[in-house]
Amino acid sequence: MQTRRFLLRSTLATAALAGGTRLARAAFALSPVQATQFIDQTAKQMIAVIDSPAPQAEKSAQLQQIIDRVVAVDEIARFCLGRYWRQATPAQQQEYAKLFHHVLLNSITGHLGDYKGITYTLGRPIPGDGGVQVPSVLTRPGQPTANLTWVVADTGGSPKIIDVLAEGTSMRVTQRSDYGGFLDSHGGNVGALIDALKRQARQQS
Amino acid sequence: MRLPRPALLPVPALLALVLALVACATPPPASDPAALAEFRQTNDPLEPANRIFYAINDALDGVVLHPLAVGYLNAVPGAVRDKVHNALGNLNSPVLLANDMMQGSPRRAGDTFMRFVINSTLGIGGFFDPATSLGYPRHDSDFGMTMALWGVPEGPFLYLPVLGPTDPRDASGYGIDIALDPFTWFGNGFLVSDLYIVRYGLTAVDVRSGLIPDLDKVKEQALDPYATFRSLYRQYRKAQIEKARTDTPPPTQPWSAAAPAAQ
Repeated sequence: MQTRRFLLRSTLATAALAGGTRLARAAFALSPVQATQFIDQTAKQMIAVIDSPAPQAEKSAQLQQIIDRVVAVDEIARFCLGRYWRQATPAQQQEYAKLFHHVLLNSITGHLGDYKGITYTLGRPIPGDGGVQVPSVLTRPGQPTANLTWVVADTGGSPKIIDVLAEGTSMRVTQRSDYGGFLDSHGGNVGALIDALKRQARQQS
Repeated sequence: MRLPRPALLPVPALLALVLALVACATPPPASDPAALAEFRQTNDPLEPANRIFYAINDALDGVVLHPLAVGYLNAVPGAVRDKVHNALGNLNSPVLLANDMMQGSPRRAGDTFMRFVINSTLGIGGFFDPATSLGYPRHDSDFGMTMALWGVPEGPFLYLPVLGPTDPRDASGYGIDIALDPFTWFGNGFLVSDLYIVRYGLTAVDVRSGLIPDLDKVKEQALDPYATFRSLYRQYRKAQIEKARTDTPPPTQPWSAAAPAAQ
């Protein structure tokens, strides 16, 4: 297993050196410093919106714009469907991606009040195969501190968040396990997952 | 030896019964390599039985542990809960120390030793945690982690009654930790066993109340909570073990960690 991972890593590195595949180049194009600056800027923008006196609806709309710009939602959606992505029809893929986007946005903007007065510090970035990991410590008034690590990768020429790690657990891997478990017990029927996501979206609103 | 957890007594019988009644998970056909690869990666051959135990635990949690934990959160002020949490952690120090040593980690063993000494004295029997601010932070250590660092594989996923998500390595590690605990062997008589039960009961309520926001969120939002907990448990353990494996003082060169990946 380790040999295989080593082989894969050296292949990727060679490909990147030779200016090979776009994916390999993308993973290596972003420097740790750039990734940290990107997270720092994003955090400042989001906190400015969260702490502003604007009405709730306006704040949500502004946050949605930021999230769409800084989070690789489509890539994450595709990752979370795993092997079922290829089994889905193009129409199902489209509908699933739309619902995923909707549920993700609502789950963030639905708890806006919880994030008021948040402050953060960023740790030393760690470059890895899948992107740069930027550790952060979030502090909220009267709440225990939270350690979150942001995984940033170059997608299509601009840095984007592709994952968040909490206490070493990856949000996208966990989400993929959830959808995978659901699909396995529903005979791999992507339509059933879409229906479940629709119910989830309705419950959120 | 006194049996440490009376509640665990009917467990082997229940386990045997469910395993006898429920068949193993059927692997997907070889004609579907992607599904087969995923099945092997999930490594949960006892999934049907595990799901039954998950349902039983979930129901028990709903009527026993969850209400207790909610009551504890509501009735006991946060400052007191923190002290209970500290004291329970301090009682676990001998097990922590033994595992730190068996993991060949003198620095972590030193941290644990100093924590025990400082918190038991300055921290008044472990109710306060001055050791953290004196530079001896808390860390996790148990025999499951020790075995992992020795190279023992985790094995298939298990969901056990009472214990919850685990695997053969971590479940047997849990038993070894009880045996390693000097308080398991100290004294006898009703008072000692009562204190023992109080300690385990408090630990359960302390741990469960700490998990309330996260567990509630998963149960509320996940489409398949069992699969989600399975994934979370494995990722969390892996991260804990990696942390123990790579726990060294920060390198003097801030970018030295960047070197291997950039090559």
